[in-house]
This record gives sequence, structure tokens and C-alpha cells, in this order.
Amino acid sequence: MRTALVTGGSAGLGRAMVERLLARGWRVVSVDRDEGPREPNMEHVACDLSDRSEVDALPARLGALAPFHLAVFNAGVSATGRFEAIPLDAYRRLMTVNAETPMILAAELVRSGHLAGPICFVSSLSHFTGYPGAVVYAASKDALAIYARSVRKPFARRGVSVTLACPGPLRTAHAERHAPPGADAARRMAPDIAARIILDATFAGRRLVVPGRTNRLAAIAGALLPGAMMRQMRRLIFERLDRDVW
Amino acid sequence: MGAERNSSRPARILITGATSGIGLALVRRHAPKARVLAGGRRAAADAHGVLPDGVSYVQADQREPERAVAAILGGLDELGWDGLDLAILNAGIGHAVDPAEETPSMLRDVLDTNLFAAIALAQALLARLEAGQGRLVLIGSTAHKGAPGFASYAAAKAGLHGFARALSEEWKGRVAVQVIHPGPTDTGMHARAGHDPGRVARLFARTETMARLIDRLIAGGRTVETISFARFLGRGQGGR
Repeated sequence: MRTALVTGGSAGLGRAMVERLLARGWRVVSVDRDEGPREPNMEHVACDLSDRSEVDALPARLGALAPFHLAVFNAGVSATGRFEAIPLDAYRRLMTVNAETPMILAAELVRSGHLAGPICFVSSLSHFTGYPGAVVYAASKDALAIYARSVRKPFARRGVSVTLACPGPLRTAHAERHAPPGADAARRMAPDIAARIILDATFAGRRLVVPGRTNRLAAIAGALLPGAMMRQMRRLIFERLDRDVW
Repeated sequence: MGAERNSSRPARILITGATSGIGLALVRRHAPKARVLAGGRRAAADAHGVLPDGVSYVQADQREPERAVAAILGGLDELGWDGLDLAILNAGIGHAVDPAEETPSMLRDVLDTNLFAAIALAQALLARLEAGQGRLVLIGSTAHKGAPGFASYAAAKAGLHGFARALSEEWKGRVAVQVIHPGPTDTGMHARAGHDPGRVARLFARTETMARLIDRLIAGGRTVETISFARFLGRGQGGR
């Protein structure tokens, strides 16, 4: 039986990926702070991925469950509002979960040989559009995206392909919590659809996947006209935020 | 130039990563006509050996962002600066390493120094920048689009790029924010990073040239600027 590692597998997109992998006959190791619904063939590893000492202890725990044939670095948190209104320690935890921890775990899994299969780094559509109203989240997701692009060749030499996933807004509790008031949840993509598209792209070894046509158009627009897209994001997000949430 | 103001008093400028490379070249350019607070990793006695006379110095190791911020705020308080005209956050480190061999402490140092320290400082400096109608300048790198031999460095600089772009939109009308990406420069960073650029190094910009171009771009005020090889060669300012 093949084994997948998924971080942030208890809820949202991570949960959808766990469910899909289980349905495809995989064994799944889910690393998350809180435990989600239990399933056969699924193992929960409790770890606060924003805590450096817990992260340092994680590779040894994962080593006992290795080898892995897929690793999805999906865990992420956000902080929305005015940059200066959110406390620095919240930004510290965000940067650790979203950028530092996935890099540390990926390097460790590839170096140790515990991973024999593809990696997927889950970044964000904000990598293409910019994200005023969540500037540190945007920074963390840009960092992860460029890390994914940078390690693609060196990791390929060790037999590990790297896929960068940049999903747009999803119909998850996470998005609900951080969206501006009045945002239409029906227009967000269902997480199980995004999970399928992202996993298929990862197994195919694709460099980049942006699930959904509207999101791909936004990504292209952001790449071609970054300034105009950033101003549009300011109007759509930053000017409509009525609270600071972290 | 970004540092020169209409008022009669000299500009108050903070520069981090100021004891070597581009940061030191920027300090040397500004020191004759502005008041400069330089931040760096070195002990004060060492730093004053390389800094021009009259420049204030505070030891602030950006590998520990929270402590570095406290040290820099202390330095500003000591000078009695309740406003800032320009903050150039330039401190940076990188390692030339196979990314699979990069250790947790290397990754953390690179992300903290290049990215998180700038985020923490931006937040801490906002009140003074607003009071001084000042400008926040983040020094990135052309590596921000990706670099297999410097993966975490490229990642951190990409984070800085996205942070600056979004923040410049948020702070519009309050504090101007810029990110400037210098291309290869003979800062000694490559050697410290364990990387030998070989004969290409002869084409690297001199730090003085890069500092001059950076000052010109600060004056221009655009949110994102890149000083590529082509850009400084095109101006006849490359080479040595």
C-alpha cells in the first residue's frame, strides 16, 4: 500500500485531499494540530506546525511511518486586515506554518530518502494577484511558491518531482473567516474539486497547477498587468475588510 | 535623491546591513549630507572602524528579528528621532547549498534575516515613517524569481517582493513603499555564502555603482524596480 503525507489534513483543502487519497486506496498520514474525523487507513500525527520545537521533533516521528510515496505541504493559516493592526507574534506563527515548516520538512524528507514520490507545495493564487489586506500571508505564499520553483531541478535529481499549486478562493471555513463581508461563498471552488485537480497535476509531475478557469485567467491577468491587478485586489479585498482577523 | 528634502534640516535615514556591501556603500553616499543610523551584526567597535565619521550605529542581528527591532527602536530613541525620512532595509544573508542539504537552522536564519526582520521592522517603523512623511525601501534581489542554488534566499526575497507590493497598496497616501532588486554585485556575499561565481564575477557591479543606481531609483519612487545586468551594462556602468 502506498503512503501519502498530508499536512493540514484535518480540515479544508487538506481534508479533501486526504479523503480523495483514501478513496483511491492510499494510506494517509495527516499532520495537523487538531485531529479531524477518523478514517480507516489514516493516521493522525498531532503537531503544531507553527512551533519550532514541535517541528524539530517531527522528522523522527515521520521516519517511523516512512516511506512516503507522496508529500503534500498544504497546512496554512492566514491573517487578514490592516498590516499594522495584527500582532507580530501572529505573523511569526503564520510565517512558520506557511513557509518555514514546509521548507524544513521537504528538505528533510528528500535528504533522508524517506520520500520516494512527488511533492506538492500548496501556495495561493495570491502569488499571481498580490493580496493587500493580507500582506504577510501574501509574503509567505510567495516565498513558498518560489521555493517550489527553485527546488524543482535539484529535487528532480534525487527522483522527487515538485508541483506548485496555487488555488484560488475555496469553499472552506478558512476562507469564510478571512473573506470580506458580503463575499459570495457560492463563487468559491468546492475543496474536493480543487483536491482532485491538484492531486492529478502532482501525479503528472506538472510544474504548476492553478485549479479553475476563472482563477487561471486571474493568474494570467496578474502576470501581465501586476499593478492593475494589485489595485483591483485592493478594491475587492482591502477596502471591504471591516475587521482584522488572525 | 530620496534622502534630500525641501526642509532645511538634514534627512534622518536608517540603513540596515550597513557594515558591508551595498548597505555600507549606501551609508557612505548619504553620510555627508544626512543623519544616518546604521544597523548591523558586528559589535559597535568593529562597525565604527568601517563606517564614516558621524554615523550612528546600533548592533542589531536580523537573524533574531524581534531583538533586532527592539535594538533599532532603542537606537532611534537615543537619537531622539520621532520621525524618519527614509528607511532602507538591506540586511541579507544566503547560503549556496543543495536545497536537500539545507538544515533547519540555515533555513530559519535566511527567512528571518531577509524576510521576517523586514516585516517586523516595517511594522515597528510605521509611526516614525508617517511622522516624517518618509519612505520605506526594501532591498530584494534578482534571485526573487527563483534560484536552484539559493532556494531559501530566493524564497525569502520573493516574500519581500510580494510583501512590498501589497504593503505599498495598503499604505498608499501614508508611507511610500518600494522594493528594489539589485543584480549580482561584488559585495562579498557570494564568498560568504560559499559560492564561487568564477569569471562571471568580473561583470558584477561594484557596490558603489549599485548604491548610486539604488538612490536614483528611490528618487524615482516606483514600487518595484530591478537592476539587472542589462540595466547597468546599458548605462555603461558595469565591470570594474
